[in-house]
Amino acid sequence: MPRPEIHMITFTVDGREVRAPENAMLVDAAKLGDVEIPVFCYEPKLGQPVGACRMCLVEIEGIPKLQTGCSTPVKDGMVVITQSERVKEAQEAIVEFLLVNHPLDCPVCDKGGECPLQDISFGWGGGRSRFIEPKRHFEKPLALSPLIAIDRERCILCYRCVRFSQEISEDYQLILAERSADTYVSTFDGHPYVAPFSGNIIELCPVGALTSQPYRFRARPWDIEGAGSVCTLCPAQCNVELTVRDERVLRVLARQHPGVDDGWLCDKGRFAYQSVHVDERITRPMVREGGELRPVSWERALDEAAGALGRAGAQSAVLAGGGATNEEGYLLQRLAREAVGTPHVDSRAGGGPGRELAAALGAPALQATVPDLEHAHAVLVLETEPVDDMPIVDLRIRKGVRRNRVRLAVATPRPSSLDRNADVSVRYAPGCGEAFVAALSAMLGGEGKNVDELASSAGTTVEALRGVTGVLRGVEVGEGATGSDEAGPRDIVILWGERLTQGRRGAAAARGLLNVAARLRLGGREGAGLLEVPVAANGRGLREAGVLHDAGPGLSEPPHGEMAAIDGLELPDGLARGDLTTLLLWDAEVDAATLAAAGTVIAHAAFLTDALRAHATVVLPAESYAEKEGTVTHPDGRVQRLRPAIGRQGGVRPGWQVLADLMARVGATQDPADPGAGDPRVLTGPMASRQLFEAVPVYAGLTLEELGGRGVRWPAREQAAAWPRADAGPFGLEVPPGPVKANGDLRLGTFRSIWAGPEVGHSPALRFLVPKPRVEMAPADAQRRNVTQGDHVTVGHNGAALHATVVLRDAVPRGTVFVETDALRAGPVDVRKAPPRAGPPAPDPAEAPS
Amino acid sequence: MSTTTASNGERAQPILFRGIDEEGLHTLEVYRRRGGYDSLKRVLDAMSPADVLAELQASGLRGRGGAGFQMGKKVSFMPAGQMDKYLICNADESEPGTFKDRELMQKSPHMLIEGMIIAAYAAGANRAFIYIRGEYQAQADILDAALVEAQAEGLVGERILDSDFELTLVVHRGAGAYICGEETGLLDSLEGKRGNPRLKPPFPANQGLYQGPTLINNVETLATVPHIIRMGGAEYAKVGTETSTGTKLVSVSGNVQRPGNYEVELGTPSREIIYGLAGGPPEGRTVKLWFPGGSSAPVLTGDDLDVPYDFDALAKAGSMLGSGAIIVVDDSVPVVAVALKLAKFYKHESCGKCTPCREGTRWTVSMLERVDNGLATPMDLDIMASVQEQIIGNCLCVLGDAMAMPIGSMVAKFRDEFEAHIEAARTRNPFGDEQPSPDPVLVQGAAA
Repeated sequence: MPRPEIHMITFTVDGREVRAPENAMLVDAAKLGDVEIPVFCYEPKLGQPVGACRMCLVEIEGIPKLQTGCSTPVKDGMVVITQSERVKEAQEAIVEFLLVNHPLDCPVCDKGGECPLQDISFGWGGGRSRFIEPKRHFEKPLALSPLIAIDRERCILCYRCVRFSQEISEDYQLILAERSADTYVSTFDGHPYVAPFSGNIIELCPVGALTSQPYRFRARPWDIEGAGSVCTLCPAQCNVELTVRDERVLRVLARQHPGVDDGWLCDKGRFAYQSVHVDERITRPMVREGGELRPVSWERALDEAAGALGRAGAQSAVLAGGGATNEEGYLLQRLAREAVGTPHVDSRAGGGPGRELAAALGAPALQATVPDLEHAHAVLVLETEPVDDMPIVDLRIRKGVRRNRVRLAVATPRPSSLDRNADVSVRYAPGCGEAFVAALSAMLGGEGKNVDELASSAGTTVEALRGVTGVLRGVEVGEGATGSDEAGPRDIVILWGERLTQGRRGAAAARGLLNVAARLRLGGREGAGLLEVPVAANGRGLREAGVLHDAGPGLSEPPHGEMAAIDGLELPDGLARGDLTTLLLWDAEVDAATLAAAGTVIAHAAFLTDALRAHATVVLPAESYAEKEGTVTHPDGRVQRLRPAIGRQGGVRPGWQVLADLMARVGATQDPADPGAGDPRVLTGPMASRQLFEAVPVYAGLTLEELGGRGVRWPAREQAAAWPRADAGPFGLEVPPGPVKANGDLRLGTFRSIWAGPEVGHSPALRFLVPKPRVEMAPADAQRRNVTQGDHVTVGHNGAALHATVVLRDAVPRGTVFVETDALRAGPVDVRKAPPRAGPPAPDPAEAPS
Repeated sequence: MSTTTASNGERAQPILFRGIDEEGLHTLEVYRRRGGYDSLKRVLDAMSPADVLAELQASGLRGRGGAGFQMGKKVSFMPAGQMDKYLICNADESEPGTFKDRELMQKSPHMLIEGMIIAAYAAGANRAFIYIRGEYQAQADILDAALVEAQAEGLVGERILDSDFELTLVVHRGAGAYICGEETGLLDSLEGKRGNPRLKPPFPANQGLYQGPTLINNVETLATVPHIIRMGGAEYAKVGTETSTGTKLVSVSGNVQRPGNYEVELGTPSREIIYGLAGGPPEGRTVKLWFPGGSSAPVLTGDDLDVPYDFDALAKAGSMLGSGAIIVVDDSVPVVAVALKLAKFYKHESCGKCTPCREGTRWTVSMLERVDNGLATPMDLDIMASVQEQIIGNCLCVLGDAMAMPIGSMVAKFRDEFEAHIEAARTRNPFGDEQPSPDPVLVQGAAA
C-alpha cells in the first residue's frame, strides 16, 4: 500500500515542546526532543511493539497508570513526563527485576562494553541489589547453531530474537519454551537454528545471551574499531560495519540503511568475512612456470600479463564480474579498448540484450527502489529466488506483505520460498521466461487469442497467468481477471532476475518484459517500476561503467565503431574457433573447458579454483571487499562507496593500481616511441573514481564526499537525463520457442543458492552450509525412476553428468528437476541411480562448482 | 450444590439458580418448558440490536469475570459496519476458588447459549466461541451436546428462528494455563498461538480475535442476558444496589462448614454469606482472613465481615469483588503458608512475557520460602512489601498484580504473624536445612 502521509504534531515531554510525526511511538518521538526513554524489547525494525520488558514506563497526563512509551502513539497536545519520582521508581524496579536473574559476568561477556543492559543499569538503575537468593541456572554455553552461542542465564527474555524468527525472517524456528521464570529461548525440538538470516539475532540481543561463535572471545569493545563499507558478496550490497582489530576483520555488523538493507544482513554477509584472512587466499601474484603456478614479483606478473595482452591485441577478451568496482570496470574497458585495442569486453558471462534494450530496461523513469517493494500495491517476483540471488530483499518483500498488505505474485520455474506469502504463485518451464513474459504481456494487452498458445509455450496455464494479472491489476483472484486496466495504473514493482534476459534470446525476453512494464504503465510512476537482480554483485555498475561488448561508459555508443565484439555468451565459441587467444578474467568465473581453450589466461582472483590451477597463466591477487576502495552501483541505481577497513593482506594491490600499471605497460609496448602513451594517469583510488564520474554522464558531478556513507541514487538526480534514450516498446514480439522437448527425460532447471561462492566455502564458520550437490525432483518423477530421497544419482545426458543426492520436493513441477550447477547446459537430462562407489571422494566443498 | 438466595428472601428471588437442580435442565426440552429461549424469540421477533443494547445498559449489569466492567458499555464499544465480528464466552474459570461457571454450564448449558445468541445479536457478531478450561471435560461435553440440540432446532446456525440472524458457535477447550483466562491471552490461545497476553490498546472490541472486533464476556455475565430480556433492564436494575445491580453467584470455599455456590443479591452483608449461607468456620474457629473475590483479591480480615458484598463496598474496603469467590481462612492456618501457596501458584502460572511479573513472582516465592524456613529477617518483609509495590501497575496484564495485591495485603495486615513465624522458624531450624512446610489444605474439616 502506498506510503502513509505524515502529520506533524506538537507534544510536551519533560516540559519541552517537541514537534513529532503523529502516531510515532513515544520512545521515538521523545528522541526528537533529546529525551531518551530506555528500552529493551522495543525495536521498530521488528514491527509492532510487544511491551514486554516494561523498561519504557512513562507518565502521561490524564492517564492514571504508567504507560509503555514503546507502544503509545504520540498525539497532539500529549504531556509526557519521564523524570518524575514515580517514573524513576518504576524504571529502577524494572532494572532491579532484570538483574535478579542476570549473571554479573560482564568481565568475561562478549557484550560487555557495548551492552544495553549495562548502559541502562548505569543510567536508569537504582545501583543497589537486594536480591540474595540463588539465580536461575541453565546449562551454558550452548550452541544454538554452529554460528550462534546461547547463554540462557544472561537472557532477559525480551522476545527480540523470537520475533525476528517469527515475524521478520519467518523461518518460525525460534520460540520461547516453558513459562514464567523458567522461560527460555529455543528451537521447538532443540534442533540447531540454521536459517539464511539467523545471525541478525546476535545483533538484536540487548545482552550477551546470543553471541557469535566466530567472534566469541576475539576482542573487547575497547580493542576494536568500526569501519563502514558495503558488502559486495551479492547484488544486495548491504551497508555494513566491519569490526576491525589489529588489521583483522573480526565481525560484520549491519549499518542500517532503509534504502538498501533495512538494517538486516544475511549470514553470508555476516560471517563470510572470515575468508579475508584464510591461508587459501591468493595474496601474491603467480605465473605458470614449468606447468605450475609459482609466486613471482608484481613486476614480473604485470610484465607477463601486459605482454600477453599486448601481443594478442584484438584477439584478447576481457570478462569482469563479481564485486569488481565501477572504477575497476571503467579502467578495465579502457585497458581493453584503448591500450590493448580489443572490443571484446563484457561483464555478462551469460550474455544479455543489446545496448538499446539495456538502456530501456535501465531507464531512470522505469526504476523501482528497494523501499518501493514494501509500499507497492503489488509485487511480481519474476525469474529470481530473492533469498538466493539477493537475500536481503526477501525480507523486504515479506515485510511488505506482512505489514502493508502488499499483494505478491511469484512467477518462477523453481518453487520459491516466497510461495506461502504470495497471493498467486505460478510455475513455468525452466528457460521459458521469454514465453512467460510474452504470455503475460498478451494477457495484459487483452490479446486473448495469443494467450493460450503462449501459455503452453511457457509451460504454464492460462489460469496461472490470470492469477498473476489479477494480483497486478488488483482484482480478486478468480474474478475473471483479464487485461482490463479499469482501475488505472497502480504501484507495481517487478523484481526480475537477470537470468531472464540471458542467453541468445535475451533480447526477445527483454522486449517482452518492457511490454509488460508498458502495459502496466510503470514508466515514470513514483513507487513503481522494474528492479533487476543482476547475476554479478556489481552487475549494474559494471554495465554503467562501460564493461559491455556493445557499449561504453554510461551505455554510450562503443568507441570501436563497426568492429563486431564478442560478448560473454559467445566467449567459449570465440576461444574454440581461435578468434580469441587470450583471456583476462577480472573477478569473473568461467568453466574449465573455456579456460582450457584459451592460450593465455590472466586471472584477477582471490581464490584458486581447480580450473584456474589447471589453466591460468598469470594470477593476480584480488582484494577482498574489506580492503577495497571505490564505488559500486546497487541494482536500484544507488551509487555506494566502498572504504577500506583493513590494510591489504600480503602483497595484494588495489585493483585500480593493477589496471593502471597494466595500461601503462601495454601502452608502452605498443608505442615504444612514447613510453607514457598508455598511462591512464590514475595515481590514487579517488582519481579513478573521478575519472569514472567524468566518463559516465549520469554520474557526472558525483563526488566521493557526496556519496558518503549512504550513497546516492543516480536515477533520482538531474543528470539522469543524460541516460541514452531508447525505445521502450511496446514491441511486436516474435513467437518464442516452446519448452525443451524432454521425450521422457526431465527438463533441467538450474539455480545458485545463497551459500554458493568461494567466500562461503573458505569461511570456516560457514563451511558447513556449502551445499552438497543435490537434485530436487517431484516425488512422482523419482518413483518412476526408482530413486528416492537421499539416493546418489547421476544427472545428465550424453556424457556430461554430475553426481548428486536426490531431494524430493512436492512443489517441484512434474517433469522438471533442479540442480545447483552451472556445469550442465539447459536441456533434457536423465536421472539414474549412481553405481555404488567405494569410499566416495567427497568433493572439497571449497572447490565445489559454484 | 445447595443454592439459596439472600437471607431476606422476600427481596429477591434467585435468577440464575432458580430451579437449577431440576432434573434434565441441561436438555433443550426441559429448558424450553421452563421458558427457555423465549427471550431469544422476543429479541429476534421484536427487538433491534439497539433495543437489546438499551436493555443491557439499563440493567447496569457488570461483568462477572473479575474486572466488573459494565457489559452494556462493552457492547457499545463494538464498531458498527460490515466486518467479521466475534463473541467469545470466557469459560476458562481458572481463578482459584472460583467454580460457579462450572455449575452453571453443567446444569443449564442452554442458558449460556441463549445468552450468547442474544449478546451476539446485540454486538453484531456472527461467530461465537466458548473458550472452556481444559479441565472442564464433562462441562464441555454437556455444552457440545446442548449445542447439537440447539443447532438441530435452528437456534444456532443460519436463519435463527427464521430471522435473518445467523451465528456459528464453537466450543473450544483450553489446555490448562491460568493466563488463558486473561482475555487477550485467551485470544492468542484461541488463534492457536501460545497464550500470552497482548498489549492493550488496541482493546479486543477494536482488534480482538483475528484482528476483528471482539466482545468477550464471562459465562455468568452472558447467562444473565436472557433474564435481563425477560425481566426488562430496568426491573433487573432494581435488584442489588445502585451501582452493583442484580444477583451474583458466589463460590464459597476454604474453612467453612458448607462450601458451595450461592446466589446472593449484591449488597448482601458478607457475614451473611460466610456465616449465614456457608456456615462459617468450624466450631471454635474464627475467620482470620478471607479473599472476597478469588485468590487475586487483597485479603480482608475478620473485622471486615460486615462489608456489604458488592463491587463498590469491597473496593472501598481495599479489596475487590473479582470473580465472586470467597475463600475463608480460619485461625488454624498460618498466614505464611497461605501466602506461600498463593505465590507459588502465580509464579507457576506467570507467562513470563513481562519483567515485573516473571521476576517478581519468582523472587517473592524465594523470599516466602526463607520466611517459612527461618532464613529470613524482618527486613526481608520490607523488601517483600516493596517488591509487591514494584509489581503493581507495572505489568503487561493483571497477573502480576494478582499476586502482588494479596501478598502485599497479607504482609501489611499480618506483619506481626510474619515476624513471629520467622522467629519461630529460626528457633526451630537454626541451620536453615529444614524442608519447607507442606501446603495448607483449605478444605472443610481438614484444618480443624
